[in-house]
Amino acid sequence: MAASAKPRRAAVIGGNRIPFARANSTYAKASNQDMLTASLEGLVARFGLAGEPVGEVTAGAVLKHSRDFNLTRESVLGSSLAPTTPAYDVQQACGTGLEATVLVANKIALGQVESGIAGGTDTASDAPIAVNEGLRETLLALNRAKTPGQRLKAVARLRPGQVVPEIPRNVEPRTGLSMGEHMAQTAAHWGVTREAQDELAVQSHRNLAAAYDRGFFDDLLTPYLGLTRDQNLRADSSVDKLAKLKPVFGRGDGATMTAANSTPLTDGASVVLLGSDEWAAERGLPVLAHLVDAQTAAVDYVTGHEGLLMAPAYALPHLLERQGMKLQDFDLVEIHEAFAATVLCTLAAWESESFCRDRLGLDAPIGALDRTRLNVNGSSLAAGHPFAATGGRIVASLAKSLEERGSGARGLISICAAGGQGVMAILEAA
Amino acid sequence: MTGAYAGFVNSAVGTKLAAQLGLPRPVRLRRYAADAPLVEGPVLVAGLADAPVAEHVRTLLSDEGVEVVDAVPAGSRLGAVVLDLTTVTEPGDLDLVRVVLAPAVKALRASGRVVVVGADPASATSVAQAASRRALEGITRSVGKELRFGATANLVLVAEGAEANTDAAVRFLLSGRSAYVDAQVVRVGPGTPAEPADWALPLAGKVAVVTGAARGIGASIADVLARDGAHVVCVDIPAAGESLARTANRVGGTALQVDVTAADAGQRILDATGRHGGLDVVVHNAGITRDKLLANMDESRWDSVLDVNLGSILRMNEVLLGENGIRDGGHVVLVSSIAGIAGNRGQTNYAASKAGVIGLVDALSVDADLVRRGISVNAVAPGFIETEMTAKVPFATREVGRLLNSLSQGGLPVDVAETIAWFSQDANAGVTGNVVRVCGQSLLGA
Amino acid sequence: MELREVASTPALGPLFARAALTQRGRGGALPAHGLLLAAVQVDRAHLLDYQHLCRFAGGDVLPHTYPHVLGFPLQVALMAGRDFPLPLPGLVHLENRITVHRRLTADDRLDVTVHAADLRPHAKGQLVDLVTEVDVDGERVWEGRSTYLRRGRGDANAVAPQSSPPMPQGPPAGVLRLPEGLGRAYAAVSGDVNPIHLHALSAKAMGFPRAIAHGMWTAARTLATLGPEASEPSTSEVWFRKPVLLPSTVELVVDDSGSRTVVGLRSGREGVREHLVLTLDVEAGA
Repeated sequence: MAASAKPRRAAVIGGNRIPFARANSTYAKASNQDMLTASLEGLVARFGLAGEPVGEVTAGAVLKHSRDFNLTRESVLGSSLAPTTPAYDVQQACGTGLEATVLVANKIALGQVESGIAGGTDTASDAPIAVNEGLRETLLALNRAKTPGQRLKAVARLRPGQVVPEIPRNVEPRTGLSMGEHMAQTAAHWGVTREAQDELAVQSHRNLAAAYDRGFFDDLLTPYLGLTRDQNLRADSSVDKLAKLKPVFGRGDGATMTAANSTPLTDGASVVLLGSDEWAAERGLPVLAHLVDAQTAAVDYVTGHEGLLMAPAYALPHLLERQGMKLQDFDLVEIHEAFAATVLCTLAAWESESFCRDRLGLDAPIGALDRTRLNVNGSSLAAGHPFAATGGRIVASLAKSLEERGSGARGLISICAAGGQGVMAILEAA
Repeated sequence: MTGAYAGFVNSAVGTKLAAQLGLPRPVRLRRYAADAPLVEGPVLVAGLADAPVAEHVRTLLSDEGVEVVDAVPAGSRLGAVVLDLTTVTEPGDLDLVRVVLAPAVKALRASGRVVVVGADPASATSVAQAASRRALEGITRSVGKELRFGATANLVLVAEGAEANTDAAVRFLLSGRSAYVDAQVVRVGPGTPAEPADWALPLAGKVAVVTGAARGIGASIADVLARDGAHVVCVDIPAAGESLARTANRVGGTALQVDVTAADAGQRILDATGRHGGLDVVVHNAGITRDKLLANMDESRWDSVLDVNLGSILRMNEVLLGENGIRDGGHVVLVSSIAGIAGNRGQTNYAASKAGVIGLVDALSVDADLVRRGISVNAVAPGFIETEMTAKVPFATREVGRLLNSLSQGGLPVDVAETIAWFSQDANAGVTGNVVRVCGQSLLGA
Repeated sequence: MELREVASTPALGPLFARAALTQRGRGGALPAHGLLLAAVQVDRAHLLDYQHLCRFAGGDVLPHTYPHVLGFPLQVALMAGRDFPLPLPGLVHLENRITVHRRLTADDRLDVTVHAADLRPHAKGQLVDLVTEVDVDGERVWEGRSTYLRRGRGDANAVAPQSSPPMPQGPPAGVLRLPEGLGRAYAAVSGDVNPIHLHALSAKAMGFPRAIAHGMWTAARTLATLGPEASEPSTSEVWFRKPVLLPSTVELVVDDSGSRTVVGLRSGREGVREHLVLTLDVEAGA
């Protein structure tokens, strides 16, 4: 490749995921490795890759056992892919799946690999339970001890309180606030109403149910452990029903966030097959879309007075400028529904003249989004959100939707992540 | 496979039945094995007059390294007998059967084979010739019932001038692939068979679609087609996806989750084969049972069985057999059932669909367009095969079904799959419009 | 054979206890009846526990050895019965043979039957087979034959059982580390609470220096190393040699040069202590 030549674009060939299950339910005993392997097996079968190597497999999990230090490679070895397929783990909280896709796509664009699989898996049911920090230090000391005297000394440090295990919590280490509590603050700031959130949640369920009914997921999903659809999906969801729920985040009259307009804890996994156009053509594989561009941003949510989940709002202007596009140019937009309020706050920010001017440094607001282009096949509120698996779910679904709309159709993906981060990507139908 | 045989023969009904029928111990049938010879032991090849097919058979056997003999060798047992009676003209000619087969049958090994070759009675030029040709069917079926220890007898009827097209049929019937095919009449017509580069991989380079491939007979069909060299696109309903993926990955094929009753099922299947450069073999295997006596049959049972087992095939064929569908010289294989031939209590819906499949074969195999394109259309009619589907029959019927056949045992899914793989061979292009029962010469519907 | 249906999986603790206290072995013939556990619905959580403990892939496909776990309580119930000729305590699991006729999944409803067969003399005592058969809707899908030895007065002229292929030689393909608590973990999943597996103390009471690993765990763990093909139509045979003391580290040796795969577990210096030899035949295209 000449130095001046534009890098080639990576093709999204297809994807696969297992249905997402509510935590502590159908997949309660399934490990991240089980679920990632099952997702890979479905993908391998769909595209006839049994016994074949791919350039690399990149995936991750947010909640991870120490035994899963080589999770992705172990899953590859348990799959029907050739054992000569290299793999590595990544982790960027809820952005893991999309970031993994971008990583694989970039290697393909640079010609370092011809094909790759990106994905993610998470289980809130089989989450690692860490030993209490005091016990951990005692155990490590015991392990280092060489003489009986040292051992005795180490054991003497044991206290009953140390035996209490620590279950991982969905809490920001620097603020001590849960993600929901953070979101509630942002929602209050932007004046997002309870009704608007419930409407978005209902729309998510309806869109997802309609997608299932028209067979949209027939080639995007492989059943697992007897589950054939996302367990969280409520096709009969309605604003009236949702209005009855009590808020779970926020305080007092301003509390608007309920269990229905927040994503539930979920178990699941997803993978996406990427390749160069040449690699796909050699195998007669379809190219649904190309990955055009990607941008990750982060905000200072600790001291900078910005909402924890607002980073995507900051990522977008970079993408629009690089691609010479407007938000309104996208045929489809996928904004991950961490909470209904996340989507609504992000949209409100882009419509706000002062936010776009003061925070994004733009002359004019980014403007409103035609809501009929938003999350057309449902999103996390209905499907559930196994953290690292959400990116792969969205990439594969969006690529297929764009392909259905015809060549050149463009789509935007926005995923917020813990730590005040946000990942965005642009796909274009092949 | 004995199933609940032990329990059954000791039950009150079973003891009585077993005694009355003098049921023999089922033997382990000779089935395909990668390193096994075509036939174990020498093969006696004989014929009447110039016996035009016998010569082809001798050649193919020596190509396979099988010893050919003219008479039963002293102190040795035969692997098979091939008797070419294509030239019979009058009943007196049939005596050769007695002369040759009587000693040969006595010397036949376990899982031995008797293959009688005749000419089609319909094309006979005299009444005596027609009668004599037809007599071969009675002979073969009776021999099938007399043979023991897993041996089978089958008849190959050759059309005028198609003598050279019999190789694939004779090979199949002699081999372990036809383990559960007994007392069948295989009609070999004109067509233009293409011999494979390697008889061990008769489907090399072919692309095959198998519906209902997640498990049972469908998974077995995928296995055997892949073993014989085909790339298999495995189709099943989305809900069976986990098992389907397993089948596809096992055979190195691809999985396609689609409900065959969907309006666009044919197109989606065709699209999926596109990436492999075309479609050579279609196996319509997907099927369901929803049993109920006719008096109690509701609309949904009736409709679902007829739609899955018959309606969907008709719809998919519109696309799969259309101009951009299956390649010239391709093969369509359907799965009928003994219930479609003999009928079965509680299965009016199922029997309707499976008899309909036979009608479909009859019509398609003479369809001018398909004949011009050299596309063969055949069906298997499984008898008692050990699967989930047959298991839905009541216990007593099932046990009797398992035993009331010349081989005294149920067949295996692989037996059905082997016959389907044989129908899928280009070398077998002369065979079209056939419905071959894989039933161990079941007494049901015989 | 008469099949007596049991309503649910028998609890094994009381059976082992009763057998330990009362059973002396009455001699005579094997019981004429078998036991049937009908329409067993696989508990997916239990299946995953088993898959994880033996390191099979987690999913809906039943591992090669899983139905053995479903049938084992029936084996014990039969062997602890008053009409069983040999005393349950002290029976040694010598060999095990399993045939998978077709891939089984958690959707299958399994009819599990167990009967005893072939009580026969052995050079070191007597042998008996406990035969486990699994049907789905009348189709025979899985068969297992567990051969147990009752040590005692032997018959030097007894027909020797078929011997195992030789232990594969060469460097280990892998090393398995069996933790001290493995016996308790497998007991929790399999229900096999035989005290020789649970703890060093209870094992000592039974004459072992330490707790020993369940033979069928070692067999399952060994099969798991051979990949998913073992869940497809296939036949395995395992010959148990010296028990594996817990905790311990054992080496896995594999010979896949022939038509069937031979695997061994060994330990000690130069691998002199042989624990098991296992063979796996995968049915091609069937």
